Formats: sequence, C-alpha cells, structure tokens
Amino acid sequence: MSTANFIQLFLSGLTMGALYALTAKGLFIAHLATTRMNFGQGEFLMIAAYLSMTLLLVGVRVILVTVLVIALLGLKGWGLERIALRPLDRLKSLVGGQYSWVLTTMGVALIMQNVATLVWGKSSQYSPPLFSASRDNVVKIMGVGVFVEELLVIAAAFLVVGLFYVFLFLTTHGRAVRAIAFNRETAALLGIDVTRTTVLVFVIASVLAAISGILVGPIVTVQPHMGLVFTVKALAVASLGGFANPLGVLAGAIIFGMAESFSNYFNSAFGDLYPLLVVLALLVVKPSGLFGEAKADVR
Amino acid sequence: MIRLEKVSSGIGSIDILRDIDLTVTRGELVVVLGANGAGKTTLLRTISGLVEVRGGSIKFDGKTSEGAKAHELARSGLVHVPQGRQIIPTLTVEENLAIGAEHLSGLGRDEIARRMEAEYERFPVLKTRRHILGGSLSGGEQQMLAVSRGLMMAPKLLMLDEPSLGLAPQALQRILAALGELARTGMAVLMVEQKTSALQIADRAYVLKNGAIVHHAPAADLRNDADVFRHYMN
Ligand SMILES: Nc1ncnc2c1ncn2[C@@H]1O[C@H](COP(=O)(O)OP(=O)(O)O)[C@@H](O)[C@H]1O
Ligand SMILES: [Mg+2]
Repeated sequence: MSTANFIQLFLSGLTMGALYALTAKGLFIAHLATTRMNFGQGEFLMIAAYLSMTLLLVGVRVILVTVLVIALLGLKGWGLERIALRPLDRLKSLVGGQYSWVLTTMGVALIMQNVATLVWGKSSQYSPPLFSASRDNVVKIMGVGVFVEELLVIAAAFLVVGLFYVFLFLTTHGRAVRAIAFNRETAALLGIDVTRTTVLVFVIASVLAAISGILVGPIVTVQPHMGLVFTVKALAVASLGGFANPLGVLAGAIIFGMAESFSNYFNSAFGDLYPLLVVLALLVVKPSGLFGEAKADVR
Repeated sequence: MIRLEKVSSGIGSIDILRDIDLTVTRGELVVVLGANGAGKTTLLRTISGLVEVRGGSIKFDGKTSEGAKAHELARSGLVHVPQGRQIIPTLTVEENLAIGAEHLSGLGRDEIARRMEAEYERFPVLKTRRHILGGSLSGGEQQMLAVSRGLMMAPKLLMLDEPSLGLAPQALQRILAALGELARTGMAVLMVEQKTSALQIADRAYVLKNGAIVHHAPAADLRNDADVFRHYMN
C-alpha cells in the first residue's frame, strides 16, 4: 500500500468514524436517559441527508440548509416522542411489554424509508459538497492530495461531539439529562420536569442525526435504505464503547471507521463484514466494552 | 404547612395507605415511626406527588396539592429527600448540591453560590469533598449531601425517608442536630423512621402500621414509654 493510499484510507476511516460516533451518541443518550432509543436513528439521518441534498441542489446556502434541517429533524424527534413513545407509557398495562417502543420506532423507520422512496426514488444520489466549491477540491498533505471536503467533515463532526459534551457537562439541561438517566423519580423530586427532559433527549438525538445526515451526504451516496446500516453500525460502535466511558463511544467509532475503510480497500466485496468481526472479537476479549468498568452514564 | 385528611393511596391494583390524618406545622419536627413495609416510603411519595392519591385531601402551604406534579411541588418548596439518599454518582458533590436549586425559576448564580456556602458551613466535610464524585462519598457524607441538596431548594417542608439508615452514631447525631436546628428556625420537618433515635429531637410522633396511623402522641411520651412503642411496632 502506498503512503497516499494509506493517508486516504486513514482519513476516510476517521470521517466515517466521526459520523458513526454521532449516530451512536444519538442512540445512547436516549437509551441511558429513558431506557428507550430510536431504532430509526439511521432513517432520521437518511431523511436529513435527503432534505439537505434537495435544499442544496435548489441553491439554498449551506448555513441556511443546516439551520433548516436541524429544525425539521428536531421537530421530528419531538413528534416521535409524542406519537411513538409517550403513549406507550399511558397504555403500559394494556399493550405489549416493556419493549413495545422497539416496534413503534422501527415502524416509524419503515414509514420513513417508504416516504423517501416515494419522494426521491430508489436510486442512489449524490449530494453537492458543503464546504468546497467542487467535490474534487484537493489540498496536499505530506505530498498527498486530500479532499478538502473530507477534512472539513471530520472537523465539523468532532466539533459537534465536543459541543455535545459541553451540553451534557456544563449546562443545566445537560445535568438534568444526567439526573433522569440516574433515576427519574429522584430527578422529579429535584424539581426536574422529567417529561420535558425526555422530549429534549429525543430532540437532541434527532439533531445529532440531522447533523450526521448533512455531513454524510457529500461523502457517501444518498439512498432510502442507507439508514439501517448506520443504526446497526452505531449499535456495534456503542457496544464497543461500553456505553459508558466518555471516550469509549468515540474510540469505538474511530476503530470501527478505520477497520471499515481498510477492509474495503483489501476486499471490497465483503468490506462491511470485517469491522463487525473486529467488534465481535474485541467484545469476546472485553465483554464490557473497551473502557467497560465504568458505570453507565449518558456520556 | 402540610395537612393530610383521610388520605388513601396505592400503586397499581394495590391499596397501601388508608385514611391517613397527619399535620406538620411551621417550625415543627414530626416523626412517623413504622416497621419495614408499614407504608412509610409510600406516605412520603404520596405527599410529594409520586404516588396517586385515591381518597381524602392534601393541603400544602394552604393549597390543595393532590394531583400536582412532583417536580412542581418540589419547586414550590415541598422537598423530599428519598430513601437511600439517591445521590447522583456521576455528578460531583458540588453539582449534586446545585442540581435541585438550578431548576428553581429566577434563582441566579449568586444566590446558588450563597446557599452552597451556607450548606458548606452546616456540613464542612462537604466543602473538602466538593470536587469529588458523589458516588465515592461515605454513607454519612452522602446523607449530609442529600439533606443539603434538599435545603438548597429552600424548602417550606422538608421530608426525609429513613435518614438514619446505615449511619454511624456520630454522623447520625450531626444530621439530627442539623434537622433540629432547621425546625427551630421555622421549617416544617417530617421524617419517617424505623428506629427511635429521631424521637430525641421530634416534637410529635405518629406510629404507622399496615398503612394506617395507629398511634399519635407527643414525642416525649413515646420516649418515656418504650412499651407502647414496642406494642405498636410489632
Ligand atoms: N411499587 C410498589 N408496587 C407494589 N407494592 C408496593 C410498591 N411500593 C411499596 N409497595 C408495598 O407497600 C407496602 C409499604 O411499602 P413502603 O411504603 O415501601 O414501606 P416502608 O417504607 O415503611 O418500608 C409494602 O407492603 C410494599 O410491599
Ligand atoms: Mg421505606
């Protein structure tokens, strides 16, 4: 493998890793705070990618696209909580068990796949670049040409991960999320509006999906079934991260992104298989995840 | 400050409390004694809005409170320090202290800092531990933190669920002294206990058995009459 190849694969691993980290965080902030999650997290990302692509293609400016897609997806997260999750609490004694949310959120995901197929068609499409004038804008790093777009996507994804931590650790609402993750009744006794905080959690998860959807558009192809792959990979990443350690999910995501990038180079037919095998192998050695002794927290 | 009249409550298909009459006035320290499973925790959870009231009425601070949401009651000064202290292990001592007060509307940073200093004066050990995670405190320290976290919300009524549980005698004395002091400054304090140690600071006592109040007397009477107490507890 040439140095150029190596750097290119390394960067694309880092890029996808950062995007998986965002999806995984969306899944697990919800799970740790509410013991539910949105199994359609990947479909939310897919819808965000389509919306962003459509707006960019009609010439809306990137900054405005970002604001619009985040707002729309935030609204979707709110709707999901109201329609697919909250009613289950009220009906708990009448319907299914403790896991009916799996069905309802998957149901919403299927509906979204079909809506996307109906609106945008079945075929794969490319989203225009976000940051550079054209898709092929290149800078030289150590004599190797690297896509500007990719570098900026990496930077943006890590920035968002950073902001996510700032929210959880340094804001009142972030601490409220961590309090309901510990115990909902205790949180209520501390004056925390648990219902509103739960809504907030799903809105945040959707906003993370929105951001990953916007960022992923220009670097992979956009198609109606891209979501499930993201959900599955994010689940794998989060289990690798042990769901707990602040750096666990991030490290898990980057390992996964790298494994995927390099295995696709060596075997493009089964490229998607190897990273999952890496996850399995690591989980056999460390069943509680890479940094797994820590207690569960929304981090 | 709080008045329960003929209150019944339960969880799901189970009725737990029956016809509870209980009052705590300003500046009064009241203890409810009862054996394991008598319904003490359910009593506090009913008052604080976590358990559904099925009969009777509850008035807090002159207003009907049954049916109100737990977080609203907490914000209006009905503070419940739950069984097992429930310190959030992944937050620091300082973050645990602030987390209740943070959700009171219109409370500025300065006021939160001022209240925190007052709590550090009450329990100096918390100050030395303030940057440590709540989960790594000892039982006694956690109970102090739980009391202080409640006091940060400036309660009109402070309710405590078995604060003596698992505490060394010295830590228990510190906490009881602090609670006695709070009642003297005008706060209404309601604690539920299995042990009689709280009688030494209480004004009045109720005995709860199988979800009903079976005895009610000035605390001094029960202090001096261990037989009555033993009779009701079993
Ligand atoms: N969540 C619940 N579901 C069903 N029964 C409960 C629940 N909580 C308490 N109980 C029952 O109510 C009774 C009183 O419990 P509790 O209030 O916890 O008593 P105490 O605090 O005095 O030990 C017990 O018989 C207990 O089994
Ligand atoms: Mg109890």
